[in-house]
Amino acid sequence: MVQFVTRRLLEAAVVVFLALTVVFSLQFLAGDPVKLFLPTDTTPKQIEEFRDRLGFNDPWLVQYMRFMRGALRGDFGDSLRQNEPALELVLRRFPATLSLSGVAMVLALATAIPVGVISAARRNSWFDHLGIGATVLGQAIPGFWLGLMLIYVFAVWLRWLPTSGRGTWLHFVLPSVTLAAFVAARFARLTRSMMLDVLGQDYIRTARAKGLAPPRVLYKHALKNASLPIVTLLALQLGQLLGGAVITETIFAWPGVGRFLVQALLNRDFPVVLVGAFLTAVLYSGLNLAADVAYAWLNPRIRYE
Amino acid sequence: MSEIAGALVPVLPQSRRVRRRLPLNRGGAFGLVVVALVVIAAIAAPMLSSYGPAESALTKTLRPPSREHWLGTDQLGRDLFTRILYGARVSLAIGLVTVGISGAIGLVLGLISGYLGGVTDVLLMRLVDVQLSFPFILLALTVNAILGIGLQNIILTLIITGWVVYARLVRGEVLALKALDYIEAARALGAPRTRIIARHLLPNLWTPVIILSSLQVAQFIVAEAAISFLGFGVQPPTASWGNMLNEGKTYIYNAWWMTTFPGLALVLTALGVNLVGDWLRDTLDPRLTT
Amino acid sequence: MRKIAIVLAVTLLVGIAGATAPTGAQERPLVIALGAEPRSLMAMRIVDWTTNVQQMNIYDRLYYWDGDPPRIKPSLAAELPQTPDDLTWIIKLRPNVRFHNGDPLTADALKWTIEWLLDAKNESHYRPRFSFVESVDVLDPLTVRIRTKEPAPVLRYYLVDFTLQNPNYVRQVGNDAASRQPIGAGPYKFVRWDRDERLVLEANPSYWNKPPAIKRVEFRFIPDFSARLAALLAGEADIVKDVPPVAVDQVNRSGQAEVRGISSSRINYVALVNFKSGPLQDRRVRQALNYAVNVDEIIANLYKGRATRIPGALSSINENVNPNLKPYPYDPNRAVQLIKEAGYDPTKLEFTLDSPSGRYPLDKEAAEAIASYLGKIGIKVRVQVNEWGTHLDRIINRRTGEMFYLGWGPALEAQGTIAELFRAERTYSGFGTPALAQEINKAIPIVDARKRQASWHRIQVMLYTEAPWIFLWQQHDLYGVNKRVTWQPHPAEKIFLHDATWTKR
Repeated sequence: MVQFVTRRLLEAAVVVFLALTVVFSLQFLAGDPVKLFLPTDTTPKQIEEFRDRLGFNDPWLVQYMRFMRGALRGDFGDSLRQNEPALELVLRRFPATLSLSGVAMVLALATAIPVGVISAARRNSWFDHLGIGATVLGQAIPGFWLGLMLIYVFAVWLRWLPTSGRGTWLHFVLPSVTLAAFVAARFARLTRSMMLDVLGQDYIRTARAKGLAPPRVLYKHALKNASLPIVTLLALQLGQLLGGAVITETIFAWPGVGRFLVQALLNRDFPVVLVGAFLTAVLYSGLNLAADVAYAWLNPRIRYE
Repeated sequence: MSEIAGALVPVLPQSRRVRRRLPLNRGGAFGLVVVALVVIAAIAAPMLSSYGPAESALTKTLRPPSREHWLGTDQLGRDLFTRILYGARVSLAIGLVTVGISGAIGLVLGLISGYLGGVTDVLLMRLVDVQLSFPFILLALTVNAILGIGLQNIILTLIITGWVVYARLVRGEVLALKALDYIEAARALGAPRTRIIARHLLPNLWTPVIILSSLQVAQFIVAEAAISFLGFGVQPPTASWGNMLNEGKTYIYNAWWMTTFPGLALVLTALGVNLVGDWLRDTLDPRLTT
Repeated sequence: MRKIAIVLAVTLLVGIAGATAPTGAQERPLVIALGAEPRSLMAMRIVDWTTNVQQMNIYDRLYYWDGDPPRIKPSLAAELPQTPDDLTWIIKLRPNVRFHNGDPLTADALKWTIEWLLDAKNESHYRPRFSFVESVDVLDPLTVRIRTKEPAPVLRYYLVDFTLQNPNYVRQVGNDAASRQPIGAGPYKFVRWDRDERLVLEANPSYWNKPPAIKRVEFRFIPDFSARLAALLAGEADIVKDVPPVAVDQVNRSGQAEVRGISSSRINYVALVNFKSGPLQDRRVRQALNYAVNVDEIIANLYKGRATRIPGALSSINENVNPNLKPYPYDPNRAVQLIKEAGYDPTKLEFTLDSPSGRYPLDKEAAEAIASYLGKIGIKVRVQVNEWGTHLDRIINRRTGEMFYLGWGPALEAQGTIAELFRAERTYSGFGTPALAQEINKAIPIVDARKRQASWHRIQVMLYTEAPWIFLWQQHDLYGVNKRVTWQPHPAEKIFLHDATWTKR
């Protein structure tokens, strides 16, 4: 097991390193950002001075080495826009994204798993059909449209909920529902198909034949065995949620990492973009690793590959 | 965009492969009808409407649905119904082109990776991992920051993000197939690689690739809409459902039709394509029961 | 299973609790919805509209533009600056002004701030601007003398919106702390800055001018315009800038807010780039493009009248504007004639027009309209829409097409516009000729107000003939404002909240 985890950790490190290198190189294709941050009446000579001071006139390799050395220490330089350490600026926004994603994920699971289980148990009933309809719809509706419609109806028209921002628990409702919709739909479908598959298996029929009460049968045996793919998908969806909350954060002006990184990209604030690349690579690798470990733990057959 | 988690559906329990022909169920039928409508709209747009998609009439801005303008007009007086029809062209183009190219790339690379194994496999899969560690939207915006915005760059972005899903799937299938007896037998008998690939592997790969493609089409269409919605994709006056939503959101409070109808078009199309994909999956590969 | 549920529930609650902001104010704050947060709260460090708008309320300023037509008025200064000779400026400060922490505001603050921004290690964007300053001396506790290396009449304008730091405070806590907890002398004190969420300010009861009527002010950061509009219509925001002309009706009908507009000092134009050889090198072709576009019709139809036509590069409220110029009339026949005179066939001309998208009101729509007017006389114009960063990048690196759309402002005097946009080596310029450059360079150091004015007027006539742009309009700044707030827009786009009040019901 230890060997397994160690190997995966090394692989993760390689991924993070590659991701950083790629993004670092990309910024040279995007043109000089320094001018964008200076006032419009700066002379070309003064612009050169700024570039020199920030080290942008050094050759690619020198800049790259400087960046990597700094990155290992946790120093990604200062944001070009705000002149504060880029890493700090991004990390400060993390709790907001985490809380929104967390709430969305909980909401999604809390609705999806029961729906999926019941749908499978009562296959082809009206509940099942409704459930399938809802999940198919949930996967087809784009998040940004859903968000817009929700704001219009609940915030502007009915005025039950705030239009944007963060403040009280009310502010959580619309953005987390928007985020959760797609994920819930996907989980519900997966749960249902997993449960159906498992319920058809022999040992379930045996348990039923033995006279064990149906709910017990369902939850204990079936769900445990169906949990494998769900766990894997959970880890992956969480990663996608965190990164993919970008649009939701922008529409709802939620002060999270996604929104901040988009603004940084628009503003060509590369030190911040690089921090973003680093953190998402770390996060994704970490979640992947967690998923693999969980999978291996739940399914010992995998460990020995 | 959590929408682009792609078909990262974990491997499901194996059962014997049985080919059955399912009758067309309601979902599949509905899906096919929708897809057909979209295709017709895209192809026959100029014939279905007398207005041009970029024809602005500054005296008739923000009109609600009426007899002259079935779905109303936008802030520049352009007919919404017409623009939705032309928007179907963009969506269709995106769907077909990106799926085609990314699928081809993914198929080839996945095949190579799975079949050859070893260093090639490790390298390619690391590349896939690096790629997947970027949230889709950020990748799209990065491409746009470097290359600029517009239809071609959107297609490029979608291809860059899309191939990885195919590659992973194909690799997985190839690995599973490689272990099968008759493949091993063929190798033992000294059959050349290309023959094995062409005659034994590829035929078994079409099915999963087609199924994946049908799901990817919907995702790509929605992805393009998302990017255009943020202002980075197809630019007005070219009509795309995404940029129509982008323009419409400012006027949502008294011109609800500007966001509702393109949104519905998007939802129905995604729905239809998804349903067709599901039906294909049920028909072609009953291992993956819904 | 149950354990997992409990863990999840706890995480949920913790997450939500962490997000709930502490409530405090009994009175409802005045909320201004902006698209971005400040880049810094340190005075005189960064040139950026969003940053300055917010800082202004914390720091107050030496001078400001006010009135119709706008003229410079003193705020922290006691009177307009005096210039006993071409190289000397005497600034007298208002007495009995205190910083938020009680420190008196004296001449020392002005000397300190100028020297601070000139010091390279503080990395101030203002440093290049003040590079002509040779020395700053304190003559008495309320008087400062600035000596310049060469005549620099533009200093008069650089002192407008000049904010003062508190020297004691900055010396004590350092730059970083001072920018996180700013201490100024303005009508509002800093309370809190929640990154990407809001900047909270409260009234300064010992402001030198009477204390502000509204006790609490919040700048909220909402990047998406339609979300800001939604906030306005739902009553969550009280002031929102840049309502699109077509959305004006919906705001006015909402019952909640109304649109208050002002003719801005920000202008829009289409630059005709003459850096590369081609038809645009010929002045006749450039003039023809001006004749070929029906600007008045664009303003009437696209902007519903909410833009003001200008004949040249300066807005009508600019101090140095030449009032005698009349805009090019719409005359497509003359346009064709001029092009032919220059030796070109209009139907064989092809240009690319670079345009931003949503940066200025209806910018790409206007670009499309302009392209279609040129199309009517046979010229093929392709509109290349760019995302804002790319657009600026193209202009800076001289990679645009033959034309590009841009806005400029706020500009209430000539040098900041003309010297920046019509000398070929300047960063955002699209045009330059040696004759023009010579005239501009001669005008810059003229100190005598009348001679200076005459110079700028003459240059504007030159520009009119040279036609380096398709001259368009000055924007109308349309603000969506809660009906219950008395506050009027400012021509230089400032949002100074000292005079804002809630109307009495």
